[in-house]
Amino acid sequence: MLHTLLRSPLLWLTVIGLGLAAVLPLWVSGYILGLLTVAYYFGVFSMAWDLLFGFAGEVNFGPTFLIGLGAYSAGILNGHGVPIALCLAAGAAAAVIGGVVLALPALRVRGPYFGLTTVVAVLILQNLIVVFAETTGGEIGLTVPDVISIDAATNYWIALGFMTVSGLILFAIATSPVGLILQASGQDPVEAGALGFNVAKHKLAAFCVSAVFSGLAGALLVFYMGTASVGTLVDVSVGVQVIIAAVLGGRRTIVGGVLGAVFLIAAGELLRPLGALSTFVVSAAALVVILFVPAGLLGLLTRQGQRA
Amino acid sequence: MTAIQILIDGFAISALYALGATGFTLIFGVSGVLNLSHGALMVTAAVVAWAASSELGLGAYAGAGVGVAVCTLLTLATYGLVVKPIDRSRAIPPEEKEIFILTGTLLWGIMIQEFIAYLFTSNAKTVRPIVEGVVVIAGVRTPWNQIFTAVICWGTIALLWVLVNRTRTGKVVLAASMNPRGVTLLGFELSRIYVAIWLIYGVLAGIAGVLLGQFLGVSPYSVGPLTASAFSIVVLGGLGSVSGSLIAAYVVGYLETLTAYLISPAYRTIPSLLLLVAVMYVRPQGLLGRR
Amino acid sequence: MRKLAPAATRRLVRALLASTVLIGSHAVTSTVQAADPIRIAVIAEAQALAGASIPQAAQIAADEINAKGGIDGRKVELVTYDNKSSAADSVRAFQRAASEDKVHAVIASYISEVVLALQPWSARLKMPFITPGAASNEIPLNVHKDYARNKYSFHGYLTSKAQSQAVCDAAKAILVEGRQMKTAVIMSEDAAWTKPLDEGYKECLPKVGLKVLDHIRFSPSTTDFNPIFSRIEGAKPDVIVTGISHVGVQPTVQWRSQQVPIPMIGIASQATNATFWKETNGATEGVLFEMFAAPGTNVTPKTAPFAEAFKAKYGNYPSYAGYTAYDEVYYITDAVRRAGSTDPDKLVEALEKTDWEGTLGRIQFYGREDDFTHSIKYGPGLVSGMMMQWQDGKQLAVWPPQVANGKITFPSFVKAGSAAN
Repeated sequence: MLHTLLRSPLLWLTVIGLGLAAVLPLWVSGYILGLLTVAYYFGVFSMAWDLLFGFAGEVNFGPTFLIGLGAYSAGILNGHGVPIALCLAAGAAAAVIGGVVLALPALRVRGPYFGLTTVVAVLILQNLIVVFAETTGGEIGLTVPDVISIDAATNYWIALGFMTVSGLILFAIATSPVGLILQASGQDPVEAGALGFNVAKHKLAAFCVSAVFSGLAGALLVFYMGTASVGTLVDVSVGVQVIIAAVLGGRRTIVGGVLGAVFLIAAGELLRPLGALSTFVVSAAALVVILFVPAGLLGLLTRQGQRA
Repeated sequence: MTAIQILIDGFAISALYALGATGFTLIFGVSGVLNLSHGALMVTAAVVAWAASSELGLGAYAGAGVGVAVCTLLTLATYGLVVKPIDRSRAIPPEEKEIFILTGTLLWGIMIQEFIAYLFTSNAKTVRPIVEGVVVIAGVRTPWNQIFTAVICWGTIALLWVLVNRTRTGKVVLAASMNPRGVTLLGFELSRIYVAIWLIYGVLAGIAGVLLGQFLGVSPYSVGPLTASAFSIVVLGGLGSVSGSLIAAYVVGYLETLTAYLISPAYRTIPSLLLLVAVMYVRPQGLLGRR
Repeated sequence: MRKLAPAATRRLVRALLASTVLIGSHAVTSTVQAADPIRIAVIAEAQALAGASIPQAAQIAADEINAKGGIDGRKVELVTYDNKSSAADSVRAFQRAASEDKVHAVIASYISEVVLALQPWSARLKMPFITPGAASNEIPLNVHKDYARNKYSFHGYLTSKAQSQAVCDAAKAILVEGRQMKTAVIMSEDAAWTKPLDEGYKECLPKVGLKVLDHIRFSPSTTDFNPIFSRIEGAKPDVIVTGISHVGVQPTVQWRSQQVPIPMIGIASQATNATFWKETNGATEGVLFEMFAAPGTNVTPKTAPFAEAFKAKYGNYPSYAGYTAYDEVYYITDAVRRAGSTDPDKLVEALEKTDWEGTLGRIQFYGREDDFTHSIKYGPGLVSGMMMQWQDGKQLAVWPPQVANGKITFPSFVKAGSAAN
């Protein structure tokens, strides 16, 4: 039901938005493209998170566990001479494996306990990266020998393309019958189970899908920036940004995550003259949106604010 | 020698953890709120106490008082400006209140953290200790400040116990934490209980923050780790169980101190994190949880 | 909250904020000016003590140059960015500086991790780039290894290796010869810059007569230092040799409150900042730390006047990175003058020939054939260190004698060897 409501205005907004985004390199400088490239990867993080929260009803406080696994696996392998394409695949695979290891036991617990388990996973990963500094670069970070491209426009289009494809797949899953089952099991697991659906299996599948995209996006981001570090990819505060982007953009919409991520990066850039206070203002703006427009930016656009 | 040192050091750290987590668990018990700006509130108390005593020259006592007072006000603001509006909002479905409160308090914490960094830089600050000097206990040189910290923490917890068990307000609060609906049926207004409990929470977080500032020092970077440690202690002890948190605080405090002394300070937090994960799989309701 | 802000901090932050906004708006209008200005980007950690001095000091240098009519009639313009101590933010700022703000050179960061992340970007964008305070040996080693690519980066501060040597030289004179000390424990934070520093310590301490009993590296996020001090005391050394920058307040305060009876000497970046006394409530009394320029010392005739000008403008003396940043603006613009152009390759060539008397000493860079290509030269007559000590709220130089303005002394709880005479 939700998807039929959302589909018509959303579809057109998305198509127009993507069209504009695709021709952007003709108009703006390499710097703006660089900003948007990062924003698009964060958009994928947020969309992947939203599949888990908005549809499976699980609050994953540790999206950076999956992102970090993907990013570091890819980065470390590349350091050993493995070509980029293989590294990306390995990054996605590592995130899925890690995701399953985390999800199998974690999905047994609910609510704040699930959230805490995922945070703890991030903290443990962070500690391990620091402890095994020889391989991971520790707190200093890991520099990868290869980058995909040094051309800003190429990087931009790769990010845009990846985001579009990820968005389509995630949106398709969310609006498919599987998505409906997920939504049902998120809202009332007992009843969904009573109707004969295997709640745990569906949630695990959602976790894996979320992991694939998080890990892949994390790995791509490493090969864009040329470095991987705890502060940029794994820290809990990075995960918080992903969550804020998703809630800000509009939860349960998948595409809202992209909007939120672009908004956060753009706001940070516009407020740059404020210097140290810019993060303060961005957080305050996000808080105001959450308090007064809980349906998020997308809700505002599609006038769903009151009903969501 | 090392054993005694671990015993003494671990006791003070654990007492601090216990005090920090008590308010956090109280709030959860009564209103089901997990306040992720917890660390920011504690850091505020410490940094304000530092600024008042060192920069404005008010002295150690007045500085500590100002720190606790500002922290209490900020805690009430957290309730009034963030938690209450979300709780009352009709646009947010009830099953999603939790994630909104978590996100909202998290953003609020980031705002506080950034504002402190803006005013006072992100470098660490230490509050001028109220008592200085050292005393030798069984061959271990112990700062008086460490003993002072433990005494104040336990004194405050004891006072809280008296308040909850021996006064009328306290009993209502206790009842509310067990059964909020029941209390409203008895004619008590839940919103006033909430304000009272957030006030108590503010004072506790303030005292814990100032003591931490004197003992180890704080910086805006401490915000996240402080929230995380309160969160994990409270989950380990059982959400909403004050005595559970006290025990958990000592388990975590000693586990960390043992690791830091006997293995390496670099591995300090790892065993307690693993313990937390283990407990959650074996006994998700925590040591003394009710669920 | 706002009312509680100390006047100094607020003034400092306001000045910074105002200058950022001013420069930002100025940048837009400046394109109409006749003589094309020399534009320098300053990317720094505005919220950290060591980093905050970088844009401030650079601004003083730019103002001074402009007051004298600029360089061949060209004004010097600074564009400042706050990198929030993050490598990602720094890369973003660097890209913006190069492609949006069209600067001719970049002065960036005191953190080695950040500088190492910027180095490839300086090569890709062919942007002359210099750090005022990062120490890692890797920065000049990268230039040496791949000169053609990395020749755009310069290391405007001493390498960790040179710094460890400076500490050893001072320790030899004041501790081994002065106080008959024989043993030491190395205590340093786990970071890019301390790896070569520790290697250097391990190599040079035994040579000057201090046996290394233990070597402790701890995470920069450590808050409780009691276990570390307890382990150090167990080894019974005469002195603790430090390598700390990201941490500073907490180990110092806990050293004092625990009354650890062993003196500390070494590199302690936060201790170089004038506000360190207040931040530690005076716990830093007696701490020995290396500096290459300091207020009240006559390292060169430029040192003290700059320190005083900085204090007059911002209310505090600069951190160590302030001195280097001030010098860098001068010798970058001097290189532009000598090159007669802001073309990156010509500018690099001119920078390599730098011979400038700055606040730190005489500044020259090591050449292509040296291991530490593009790092500033260390040694007598060039840039050489001073051992400083916090005493009663002041930073005093205690060694070498020709620049000293104080005598070494320790708080009563410290057992600092026995005086030789």
